[in-house]
Amino acid sequence: MEDGNFLTDDFLRQLIDVGEADILVGLPTHNNAESIGPIVRTIRDGILRSFPRERAVIINADGGSRDGTRELITGLSISDMHPSSSVHALRTLHAISTKYANTPQSGIALRTILAAADLLRAKACIVISPESGNISPDWISSLIRPIYFEGFDLVSPTYRRHKFDGLLATNLLYPMVRALYGARIREAYMSEFGFSGRLGSQFLGQNQWNDGSVENGTELRMTLAAVTGKYRICQTFLGNKDPVERRAANLVPALRQSVGVLFSALETDYDKWSTISGSADVPTNGNAPDLLLDPLRVNRKRLREMFVSGVSQLESVFQAILSPSTLAELKGIASLGEERFRYPAELWVRTVYEFAAAYRKSVINRDHIIQALAPLFRGRVYTFIVENRSGSANDIANNIEGLCLEFERLKPYLVEMWKSKE
Amino acid sequence: MNSNQDALWYKDAIIYQVHVRTFHDSNGDGIGDFPGLEQKLDYLQELGVSAIWLMPFFPSPLRDDGYDISDYDTVHPSYGTLEDFRKVLDSAHQRGIRVIIEMVLNHTSDQHLWFQESRSSQSNPRRDWYVWSDTDIRYKDARIIFIDTETSNWAWDPTSKSFYWHRFFSHQPDLNYDNPAVREHMWDVMRFWLEMGVDGFRLDAIPYLVEREATNCENLPETHIIIKDLRRRLDQHFPGRMLLAEANQWPADLRPYFGDADEFHMAFHFPLMPRMFMGLKLEDRKPITEILQQTPEIPPSCQWSLFLRNHDELTLEMVTDMERDYMYDMYAQNKTMRLNLGIRRRLAPLLNNDRRRIELMNAMLMSLPGTPIIYYGDEIGMGDNISLGDRNGVRTPMQWTGGWNAGFSTAEPERLYAPIIHDPVYGYPAVNVVSQRESEHSLFHWMRRLIAVRKSSAVFGRGSMEFLYPANHRILAYLRRLGSETILIVNNLSSAAQAVELDLERYKGNVLIEMFGNNLFPRVRDLPYLLTLGPYQAYWFRLRRV
Amino acid sequence: MREMIISELSQAVHDLARGFAHYLPRLIVMLVIAFAGWLVAYVIKVILRSILRLFKFDRLAENAGASQLLSKAALPSATEMLSRFVFWLTWLGFLLLGVSVLGILGLQEQTARFFLFLPRLFAAVLILFFGLIAAGFSARAALLAAVNANIPSPRLLSLAVRSIIMVFVLSVVFEELGLAEQTMLVAFGIAFGALMLGLAIAFGFGGRDLARRFLEEKFVRVKKEQDEDELSPL
Repeated sequence: MEDGNFLTDDFLRQLIDVGEADILVGLPTHNNAESIGPIVRTIRDGILRSFPRERAVIINADGGSRDGTRELITGLSISDMHPSSSVHALRTLHAISTKYANTPQSGIALRTILAAADLLRAKACIVISPESGNISPDWISSLIRPIYFEGFDLVSPTYRRHKFDGLLATNLLYPMVRALYGARIREAYMSEFGFSGRLGSQFLGQNQWNDGSVENGTELRMTLAAVTGKYRICQTFLGNKDPVERRAANLVPALRQSVGVLFSALETDYDKWSTISGSADVPTNGNAPDLLLDPLRVNRKRLREMFVSGVSQLESVFQAILSPSTLAELKGIASLGEERFRYPAELWVRTVYEFAAAYRKSVINRDHIIQALAPLFRGRVYTFIVENRSGSANDIANNIEGLCLEFERLKPYLVEMWKSKE
Repeated sequence: MNSNQDALWYKDAIIYQVHVRTFHDSNGDGIGDFPGLEQKLDYLQELGVSAIWLMPFFPSPLRDDGYDISDYDTVHPSYGTLEDFRKVLDSAHQRGIRVIIEMVLNHTSDQHLWFQESRSSQSNPRRDWYVWSDTDIRYKDARIIFIDTETSNWAWDPTSKSFYWHRFFSHQPDLNYDNPAVREHMWDVMRFWLEMGVDGFRLDAIPYLVEREATNCENLPETHIIIKDLRRRLDQHFPGRMLLAEANQWPADLRPYFGDADEFHMAFHFPLMPRMFMGLKLEDRKPITEILQQTPEIPPSCQWSLFLRNHDELTLEMVTDMERDYMYDMYAQNKTMRLNLGIRRRLAPLLNNDRRRIELMNAMLMSLPGTPIIYYGDEIGMGDNISLGDRNGVRTPMQWTGGWNAGFSTAEPERLYAPIIHDPVYGYPAVNVVSQRESEHSLFHWMRRLIAVRKSSAVFGRGSMEFLYPANHRILAYLRRLGSETILIVNNLSSAAQAVELDLERYKGNVLIEMFGNNLFPRVRDLPYLLTLGPYQAYWFRLRRV
Repeated sequence: MREMIISELSQAVHDLARGFAHYLPRLIVMLVIAFAGWLVAYVIKVILRSILRLFKFDRLAENAGASQLLSKAALPSATEMLSRFVFWLTWLGFLLLGVSVLGILGLQEQTARFFLFLPRLFAAVLILFFGLIAAGFSARAALLAAVNANIPSPRLLSLAVRSIIMVFVLSVVFEELGLAEQTMLVAFGIAFGALMLGLAIAFGFGGRDLARRFLEEKFVRVKKEQDEDELSPL
């Protein structure tokens, strides 16, 4: 409960007025006034539809919005102070907001939400991304029901995505978390998810919040904490992943907050993941996530070019990170023409593992290690696109499964690298 | 009875609802009677009530607990004679207690002489006193009220080979108010009792007097004309007497029954009552504030009548389906407790015999705007007997002592009109007047105190109402004002202790005086006024500028 | 005559012997100090080398890019270099101390000046060292950023960054050592100014498109090419 110190007095007072909650919806925002209204209404509908008798609260952790986002959210609370004839609710539904900083930092936003959940003794909580424009009221039920009624601690989402959407997740995060932590969680890096009050409080207490590197990507840490802490995890199908343009932006920040977080978590979790072998399925509700197969025009050439230029320009950096044989193979691939270019799964796995080992030893500055991975990832994406250009959803699923098995097969290699020069 | 400011006595009244049959038996036949009631008037005076409302005591086959009247001009022999009733009236008046009786205008028992005559043939002079039809398809838009027992509003009479109209039980045929003879005679009936000294009537089932085709046969304009006529005559011949409407309708639909202060003086606020129970279970004041926000203004001389429970089921007609399901799940898990869209339980069992909750609900009853009605036995926390059918579970004998028949009657227990409650929790050895009188902190003494404090200020009965909306939604807080006097009421609907900050800026500089202990509370300053309340606690504060 | 020569000679020999005997203890002391100094310096060198090896000083030096420099100059590793440097410095100090015992005037002054100079020498070495690290780090950061942003000639950019920082560091080092202070400062100023001007011109003329693309990306949300879909990695 000592984390209450970093919440503002005003927010604490609002929490006192809420008192206790059964269901908590956390909403981190920053200048989302355009899209946030319908999202909050949908959340409200979801709560009124599925949990009309439960005490519910919407907590908005805002990173310094200047466009009235906070007011939009708090204005949608249901109470007798501003009665509305259009909404019929059994009880008050609070929507409160706090500004945790002047610039958005998702780690602190999550910490605020966790602290509020802890103080309100919420039983089931969910976090919704303000960019999920395609949210439907069923999401509330899908994410909360497993926690509230079935005793799960973490509900991870699955989506119907385009086959080439989220390749960092399918080619690195999912297989690596699966191989190392033994849990087949498709979206370990989650933008919306559900968690129990128990997991939230424990994660709040144990996590190192003052470590500067834990700014973005804390959600991934939470997933890993749930796995290592032997919490009950399940997945639930939410629908289509909203194709927001902004998310397509920079690869390097995405790498930082997913791969970077994963690599640094490996260090603290070594005792747990080094002894696991194989992987187990996680209970999943709803449909198995299928793929959208419509053709996508991607600038494949640029991907390959960036790979090639990366391999040549960053050779001095790679020499410090990769083993000589791996680097030689990569240089070999870079010299191949367009038709024969192929970044095979086994080499990719070795690359990633060597990067993880190098990260651990801090052979060079860690952030530079992450940045150096970007051009190699692009090469891998090129190969993935080419290989799955015209495959069926089943074929693609099999390919991904093959990649996962490769990650699992080479796990001892990583353990060995980890242990050497200990 | 003092005659000054008598005209609005009902605004300051505390009403005690009781059935003669259930109260006290003086002649040992197992049935309560008027002389028995008279003997217990001291108790009522001690409690502090200022009026009693007597359930129907007319001659009746008692197939609807007396609401099926077979003779309007006397009393049921089981309860005594008309003279006994007169004595009760006088004794009550001597103690400053007014008497309100039932008057069922809408229908009679099928045993009533009028109906016997009416049904005997089509040409009988009283034929038109009731509503007859050759078919049963007329007025098909009217709903059935006793859905658990009746399937139609028309009943077939084999004697006259036609259908008669009945909104309630089939043995309660509706009188035909389109017939001026009916209207005149019913006024005569009322006048008879008024001349005897009765102070007011509760007019039962008033929305259903008149029926018209292609309507739901409720609240029709013709009905209001009849009521206005009755009121006019009342004011003319018997000023200071009161008419109380029983109309289970939404507040907006109830408003017309006050007219322009030319119809009823009082009406029951039915929709508020279930919401008080709901707010308590939800630990959220929202249902209560919302229904009162939606309650329309009524003429200054009119008054709402508030109650927690009564002889009927706790009606859930005036709530949404979702709310009804919630109430059923929270208060009546056992399906046998449910009846006719309601819950047939007494106050104490509904609140799990939780003393704090009982006190809170009564405190709210006494402080919300309106005249409170206490159902007999709830002042000592009596229980109910669900195994008795229909609504009889809440109409068991009054528990006076821990001894023979709870002091209700000297008869053999088998002869009592209904068995006395004897379970370990609510049974008469545990719950009775005598032992509560002797125990300083009993519910009875608490109720006495509560009533005394309520009577100490006219603000409760006549004052205005303004909600405060503190951010803590578990706190129901409001201000009652009359002239220069202001009272602040704060209720904690939660089972846990609460802190609340109230915006009393307008009353800056006032000191708060807690009305039960008369202790001073801090002065109101610039900052919001912080109060802490224990579980289910209610505070009544007088605001005074010292 | 012979007696006079013999007595002069014996006087001279006597004087010589006396003079010798006068200086001999000091000479012996000086030799002893020199020997002791050599021992101490050697011990310090060994200890320092072990400490540096323990703290993986070589790795740090590698990060700084110092190792590359040393290997290019066919010098041994940084640990070795530093240990030897400390050895020689220590022994030199002891030697000078020994010499001062001899009492030769001019030398004492120089000795004092030498010891006063030492702190500045250390400071200069430190600045050089950390400067090398900073240059290496920034060069690599620039390289990675350029590669990931698809900027042409990333290595050139990286080298430019490294050079600028090195020039700056060197000028500070020289200033610290007191060698040609003014000259170095002025030279640095001219070189830096010229470099900046050159870059500005180059950027302005040749990097117009790059600048526009950069600004567009930052402030305008426009799809880069009309016929291309964006992939999102997460």
